[in-house]
Amino acid sequence: MLYVIVVVVAVLIGTVLAPVVWGLTQQSADDDPDVSVVTLRGGTSASNINQVTEELRQARTNDSTEAVVLRVDSPGGAVASSEEFFLAVNRTASEMPVVSYVEGTAASGGYFGIAPSDAIYVKPSSVVGSIGVTVSAPLSTVEQEERVSKSYLRTGPDKATITKDSIRSEMETLQNAFLNVVMEHRGANLSLDRTEVARGDTYLGPEAVQNGFADEIGSLSSAVEHAAGAADGIEEDNYDVVYHEPVEASSGLVLASEDVERVDGDIVYVDAAEADSEFTEPVEYYAVWGVPTGDTTGVSPNETG
Amino acid sequence: MKPGNVVKPLGVFAVVIAVILAGTAVAGTLTGSGAAGTPDGASVDGQSPGAFQPSAVLAENDPEDGEISLETDTEGKRILVDSSHGNQYDRADLAPLADALARDGHEVTFQGSSDGGFGGGGYNATLQGVDAVLILQPTESFSESEIAGLEAFAEGDGRIAVLGDPPQTSMGSGLTGSVSTTRFSAQDLAGEFGLRLGADSLYNIDDERNDNNYESIYVDPADGQLTDGVDRMQFDTARSVIATDDSATVVARAVEGTETLERRQAARYPVAAQNGNFVLVGDSAFVESSERYDVDNEQFVSNLLEFLVTGDKDEDVPSAGGSGGFGGGDSTGGNSTGGGF
Repeated sequence: MLYVIVVVVAVLIGTVLAPVVWGLTQQSADDDPDVSVVTLRGGTSASNINQVTEELRQARTNDSTEAVVLRVDSPGGAVASSEEFFLAVNRTASEMPVVSYVEGTAASGGYFGIAPSDAIYVKPSSVVGSIGVTVSAPLSTVEQEERVSKSYLRTGPDKATITKDSIRSEMETLQNAFLNVVMEHRGANLSLDRTEVARGDTYLGPEAVQNGFADEIGSLSSAVEHAAGAADGIEEDNYDVVYHEPVEASSGLVLASEDVERVDGDIVYVDAAEADSEFTEPVEYYAVWGVPTGDTTGVSPNETG
Repeated sequence: MKPGNVVKPLGVFAVVIAVILAGTAVAGTLTGSGAAGTPDGASVDGQSPGAFQPSAVLAENDPEDGEISLETDTEGKRILVDSSHGNQYDRADLAPLADALARDGHEVTFQGSSDGGFGGGGYNATLQGVDAVLILQPTESFSESEIAGLEAFAEGDGRIAVLGDPPQTSMGSGLTGSVSTTRFSAQDLAGEFGLRLGADSLYNIDDERNDNNYESIYVDPADGQLTDGVDRMQFDTARSVIATDDSATVVARAVEGTETLERRQAARYPVAAQNGNFVLVGDSAFVESSERYDVDNEQFVSNLLEFLVTGDKDEDVPSAGGSGGFGGGDSTGGNSTGGGF
């Protein structure tokens, strides 16, 4: 009987103390804070950016992460996911230092994402810039909007079609959002005015440092040092560097939708071409450094690169 | 109670607590940091950047109102839309123009020299039967006799309007990637009237000075019949017009900050000019459905149509065959002159 009482009391006390022990296990083995290195190699496709945003979310919620370094080699991609990239970095940068290192290219949508960084490090071969939006639309929905044969019926005159004027208007709107972000986050550093930025030129690292698209010539380690130095929770060299698994393009086609199914949380990604074999989007906007490949007489949104 | 009786229960007590805490520690370590901590809601914090707000991003569209209409005292004029020089236009784009002309009592014909079968002679015979010629983006050269015929046509108070675009390069498919370029091929013709098109496309990157795209430049009118009632025009594929003759007058100029695409030289380039009965416009897209009603384009189109139908050409102009001192008659529509550049 005595042992039963002893065990019950022990269990009760153990239950009370358990959360304390649990809390202790949530801290890393040593008490050093981390600089988290998030790597994006590839286009700003929905799946790539979903991975990056998830890693940034982890960095924000992990108590030991005090700063983030974005290692980027991306020519951009769809405007929609490039904006997601920006929003995730912007939020992270509002909570802790974020420093970017341009490993290869951070152009167009790739630059959109790193614009809110506290600092951008480049090397001579780094390519940044290309601020602008391109559009891909099957000619059948644009040029001959009023003359397409009635192979399908629509409920309204603007359903499933788009005019050249409206494409240009929408493209300008997306460009304005992109330019606003670049000017807001880099404007103080830039020696170029908004109109010059809107030309969409690209710049190699040294030129980018001069015109303010980037801040310093340096390496990944320079970026890590900068991030650690700017972090409130890091004293001198007392920090660890945590490398996340790089997000890499699955093929050379930066714009091609992944043909492998991916499941992230509750979101399932499937190849758009397979899912929508009957329809193609009338128009798709890209913040990308590149030109469409393939037959220019009928560009399919899913086959540009 | 003996000391031994206390030690044993205490030992069990300690072991049970140790097992529970150790188990908790192991479980906590294995499951990692994401499983516990603050509830999800605590880390939800939306953002609505100022850079994305509607007032900061929405592009403004120019009004597309107004209509194409003519107010002339003339009627029964015949306007030839040149179709025999590889002209790049869509007949559907010209329907509203033809409608406006018809409402004012005029007639549009799309006949070309090929219908006559006599090369330059056939073309000039066609010219005899019309009062005005509208030539949109010709990509095949005019023969010497055709040029002579058109010159005589203008001298006889026939009206001519030529609309040209910058060169367009298209890539062929396949590995070889053949590249073909279509060019404005009426430089020789325009040259006879002291005008020619500049080599370079024009653009304007300043949002305030373009219509939602750097290629869609704004154009300001000079005073004159052709620009009566026009405050501003928009040209989508603009190219400068160069005067090689003092008698030519500028009809419209690109707005400030407009540059040439290749050389990046800024100037207020003339983009439309007139020399007597001949008008040259460095853009043909302004008659297309997407541009026709932008800003005051419809008024410019109306004025251009009025210009075409207010000539007073004699029936026998030009003389058949295009001969009679204009160097014509010897060519039968050959395209070897290569007027493009």
